[in-house]
Order: sequence, then structure tokens, then C-alpha cells
Amino acid sequence: MNYGDKIIKMEGVIVEVQDGAVAVDLKGRLGYLKVPMRMMITDYPLKVGQEVEWNMSFIEQKGPEVNEKYVSNLDIQKKRMDKNKEV
Amino acid sequence: MSITAETAKAHANDPAVLCCRREAGTVISVSDLEDPAIFDDLVDSGLLNLDGALTIEQVVGATLKETRDSLQPLTADVLDGVKASSAPAAPAEEAPEEEVAAPVLPAGAPVAAAGGVLKIHIGEGKDIDLEIPVGAIGAAGAVAPGVAGAVAPVAAAAEAAVAGEEVVVRTLTRKHFNITEVKRGPETKIEGTTLYIREGIEKEAVDSQNLVVDLKVDIITPDKYHTYSETVMDVQPIATKEGDSEVGSGVTRVLDGVIMMVTGTDANGVQIGEFGSSEGYLDENIMWGRPGCPEKGEIFIKTQVTIKEGTNMERPGPLAAHAATDHITQEIREVMKKLDESLVVDSEEFKQVRRPGMKKVVIVKEIMGQGAMHDNLLLPVEPVGILGGKPNVDLGNVPVCVSPLELLDGCVHALTCIGPASKEMSRHYWREPLVLEALHDPEVDLAGVILVGSPQINSEKFYVSKRVGMTVEMLGADGAFVTTEGFGNNHIDFAAHHEEIGKRGIPVVGLSFCAVQGALVVGNEYMTAMVDNNKSEAGIENEVLGCNTLCHEDGIRALAMLKDAMLGEDIKKAEKAWNPNVKSTNLELISNVTGKPIELVENEQSLPMSQKRKEKYS
Repeated sequence: MNYGDKIIKMEGVIVEVQDGAVAVDLKGRLGYLKVPMRMMITDYPLKVGQEVEWNMSFIEQKGPEVNEKYVSNLDIQKKRMDKNKEV
Repeated sequence: MSITAETAKAHANDPAVLCCRREAGTVISVSDLEDPAIFDDLVDSGLLNLDGALTIEQVVGATLKETRDSLQPLTADVLDGVKASSAPAAPAEEAPEEEVAAPVLPAGAPVAAAGGVLKIHIGEGKDIDLEIPVGAIGAAGAVAPGVAGAVAPVAAAAEAAVAGEEVVVRTLTRKHFNITEVKRGPETKIEGTTLYIREGIEKEAVDSQNLVVDLKVDIITPDKYHTYSETVMDVQPIATKEGDSEVGSGVTRVLDGVIMMVTGTDANGVQIGEFGSSEGYLDENIMWGRPGCPEKGEIFIKTQVTIKEGTNMERPGPLAAHAATDHITQEIREVMKKLDESLVVDSEEFKQVRRPGMKKVVIVKEIMGQGAMHDNLLLPVEPVGILGGKPNVDLGNVPVCVSPLELLDGCVHALTCIGPASKEMSRHYWREPLVLEALHDPEVDLAGVILVGSPQINSEKFYVSKRVGMTVEMLGADGAFVTTEGFGNNHIDFAAHHEEIGKRGIPVVGLSFCAVQGALVVGNEYMTAMVDNNKSEAGIENEVLGCNTLCHEDGIRALAMLKDAMLGEDIKKAEKAWNPNVKSTNLELISNVTGKPIELVENEQSLPMSQKRKEKYS
């Protein structure tokens, strides 16, 4: 990474709590993040509306190549979702 | 930030560097010096030059001749009254020392830095640029993979002489039945080496669970390995108890050449356990032969379970997918119970042996307990079954003691967490390498296995780890292993387990996937002996099923390391960043002593790449 050391403190708000995952809206409409429970460090039971914070750097492209594996997985998922909608 | 007298003593032969600006005439005391633990990073980033620096023991008590700024090394030309060094010559590196020691068995193992803290004190100043590689800071808490050298055969032999006889507590017999073909048929049965699965069983499996809306059974033979699959949730042996025997003793019947594989999505098409899932072509996503994985050549009975939309991350969702699959497995088990003895192709006996007089060790296995797929059913009636199993989340994640044979007999039905490369699937426990190693090692007395869940909230984590400490204390263990799967907040309780056990004076060796991506979140002074389960080339979660799980080679390293620790050998400090060579050096040391070569498992580089990927990446 070229800019991996440029760390920015981010803040967010918990918008969804599931048994295995937590979703967070980044403040300032900077995005949305959904992470498995185990990537959260918590002192209290998780609730929607709680504020969270973490450090992040910018996201850098690794290169121009496309990994066909992921493209094909996405295709399969899209097809299946379309099929489910029809049903 | 200045250091304490204690730190100064530990670092007596490390370079002396001022922590703050000091005026001429100052008599140097330890409170004027910086903590040497942070020097590596500072030197790397060019902030600090240690050329000509005297050691801490040399400078304490000397008088500063001229005013020096913070983070300046103390050299002979600025001090009066420098003491002579007690250390032999220049800071003799440890390497030669080790060679000299070779005949006496080199030992000592690298490892985990205990949560290094970077402290920078700026008294006064302007235009100060601090550039410190961030990765390096993170790595201070990280673990260097690694282990130590040798076991001490001499000492062990002497002990063996006084030790009592081996005591066989209980035995477990596994009878193997070979399966070479799996077909669909009008009824579930086994004829010779052919397993038939009843047509239409899918509907019953679906009906057995409210949340399951669809279930497909695919029989994946080796020629079909290159087919697309949803994320692999679990790999399970097909086994059943014979007669009245219970899990962990008596007789278990198991099918060879075939395994159950649970896969699935929710009705919206989202993978169950959607993070870092391993969907894709099976042969590109499975690390063959890992304890938890299929072997190349085995037939998979693969269920593709579809659960109600939106339940993939709720507790009942993944459990329903497992229960529906188990409906099929259970029908096979019923058939197996009636199989004729003549079909047994192999029989192996596991003995739970206690070795009084030997060092008593326990294995603490941290299993996931944050909820949803982070859950395990403990002690079901059938090996890796559902019925009778209690979710460790419902048990409050408190420690549950099981015998090594219970563990090897499928007492853990893993709902398996996420992170395909580092999760321990049900089959992993069935073939748990560390338990097997410890059980078969004549130099240690394996007292048992403690399963402890990893809850979500910190206070609960400390609650359970205090129980772990107390349990290990009561067992009177001489040493303990702590293992964990995956990475994330489970490393907080992983560290707490080390502390709880370590502070009772019991040596402890940790096993976890760490490398680059799984660098430990926290550390403490007891986390000195650590074995990294990483096998991936880049040290990351590479989405290849089972790649970074505990293997035989890690079990050997951990056992050697714990023996060293129990004998009071020092373990070398970890390197500050992940260095895979530590592992190979340690393995070499071990095999030099034992005289047995250690075969290393392959990593993801051995898997086929699709043609398209090949064109792009080669």
C-alpha cells in the first residue's frame, strides 16, 4: 500500500444488530460497513443508535486486473436473486 | 516516557537513550531513559541512531557533560563517570551462543511481544516530524510465529525412570467402513461399499426445520470437484455409536471415503456466514487434507440449504441448516448401526492414557460463542450429531471439561464461525492434531481438554477466562495450551486465558492464526510462547477452507515449546514483524533433536488456478 499509514479516525452509528453481525453507517454519509460480531470490541450489549469509532486508511486499488473468481461468484448470486424474485 | 528501575534492570545491556531533554550536569538515573522496547521501530524509521550508544547499566549514575535532547542516545563523549559494562564484549548476538549450546540442546523460542506500547514524549518543541511505520506498531502486539527448540530427552528420560506406570483411563475404538460409491435409491442403505441415500429425503429434511425453505443434496465425486458451491459451512465425519456406548468411549463406527458437507444461503441468496465465505469452485477453495477438511479423493454428500431470508446472521438460521443436514446424516447413522462386522476394513483403538509423574498438561480450546454461526453444540448423543448437544452460547460460554477421547469422538458439533481459512470445522475436532500429539507423547501427562466459549462482551470474556484460570489451577497442571480459531475479538479472551493461567505460575503456550492479518489485538506479559497456525503465503485470511488451521506441525511445535517452558527455558523475544522463517527454524531445531523429519503441509499455492486467473497472474 502506498498510503496505508495515513490513518483517519472514523466514527459511525450502529444501524443494525444481528446475532452474528453489526452494521454501521459512517457519519457524514461516507459509507456503510457491516462486520462480523467478532471484529467488534464491546463493553456493553450492542444496540442500534450506539456510536462507534475506529481507525481507517483510504482504500487503494491493487491493480487493474479483475479476479474472475469473484466476478463469477457475483454473477451466480445475481442470477439466483433474480430467480427468487420471479418466484 | 521514562522507565522504571525494574525495566532498566531487564534492559541493562540495551542502549541508553534519553527520554526527555536533560540539561548539562544531570546525573543520569533510570527515570531519564527511554524504554528500549520501542527502539526497533524508531531506528527503522530513521528517528533514532544508536551508533556509539552506551548501555543502560553503563550510564546510570554518570553525569551529563552537555545538554541533550530527548531521543538522543547517550555516548561516551557526553558523559562523565561511565561504568564498565558487565556484558561480554559487544552485544553478542544470540545466534553464536546457540551454536555453542548445541550439544546441550538449544532451546528458546521466539515469540509474542507483550502488547508493546509506543510512547513518545515531547517536552517542548516545534516542527517535530514523527514518522513511524504504522504496520510496525501493530506488529508489536502481534505474534511472531514460532517456537522453540528442543525437548530435553535427558531430563525426560530421568523422569521416566521414576515415573509410575501408564494408566489407561478409557478406550475408544473406531471401526472403519469403506465407501467407494454414493448413489440415490429408494431407501437409505449400505451394500458392500456403496451407500444409497433415499430419494425424497430432502423434503423431510426441509420439513423438519421451520426456517429451512429448500435443501438440495449433491453427491460430489472427485471428477466433480470443479463445480460451483455455496460457502462451505461445515465438514463432518459420518459416524455413529455402537450399542450403548457413549461419545468418548466404547465403539464408534465411521464411514471412510465419504463426508457430509453443509453449505447454504438464505432465500435472498446471501451466504450463511456471509463474511469471507468460500463460495466458488470447490477444488480452488478447499485446502485438502487439513484436519477439518476433506481429503482429496473423498466423496462429499453436500447439502445446499436455503434458509428463510434474513436469518443467515441470526442464531436459529445456521443451526437450522445444520439440523436439516443432520436429518440425512441421522438416517445414514441408523443404517450404519446395523452393518455387518464383516464390512469393517480397519479398526483403531485410542487409549486415554494418564502418565503419573510426568508433567501434567491441559489443552484449553477456545471455541466461538459470539452468537449465530459463532456457536457449537457440545456433547451430542451421536458423534457430531445435533440431538442432545447443548449450544455453548446457552451454557454461558463457561469452561466445559471433556476427555481427549470425547473430543476426538465428535463431542463438538461446530456451527463454524467465519473466516474459512482459520475456522475449525466439526471434522477438525475429530482429528485434532494437538490432542493426538499430546495424548501419544510419553513425556507428558495429558489431563484433559477444556472447551471455553468466546462471548461477545468484554466483561463476559473476563468472566469465562477467570473460570478457565481456576479450572487449570484446580487440575494442578504443570503446563497448558490455549488454542483459538479465527481472529478478532476472541483474541481478547485468548490473551486473558494466558494471563489467568500464567499468573498462577503455570507455563502456557498459545496457538492461533496471527501472521499479518490476525495480529493480536492485545497482549500481556504471559503471552511469551506462541505458535502461529498460519500457512498462507501472505499471512492473510485467504478464503481457502481450512488453510490456516492448527495442523500436525503446529502441534509438534507447541508441544516442544511447552516442554521447554515447563523446564524453565527462556523463550526468545518475538521479532517485531511477522517472519515466517521463525517457524521453519524452530521446526528444524525440533527435528534435529528428535531425529524425525517433520513434514510440512502445503498451502494455497498448491491449488489449481482457473485458466483465466492463470492468464492474469502468471
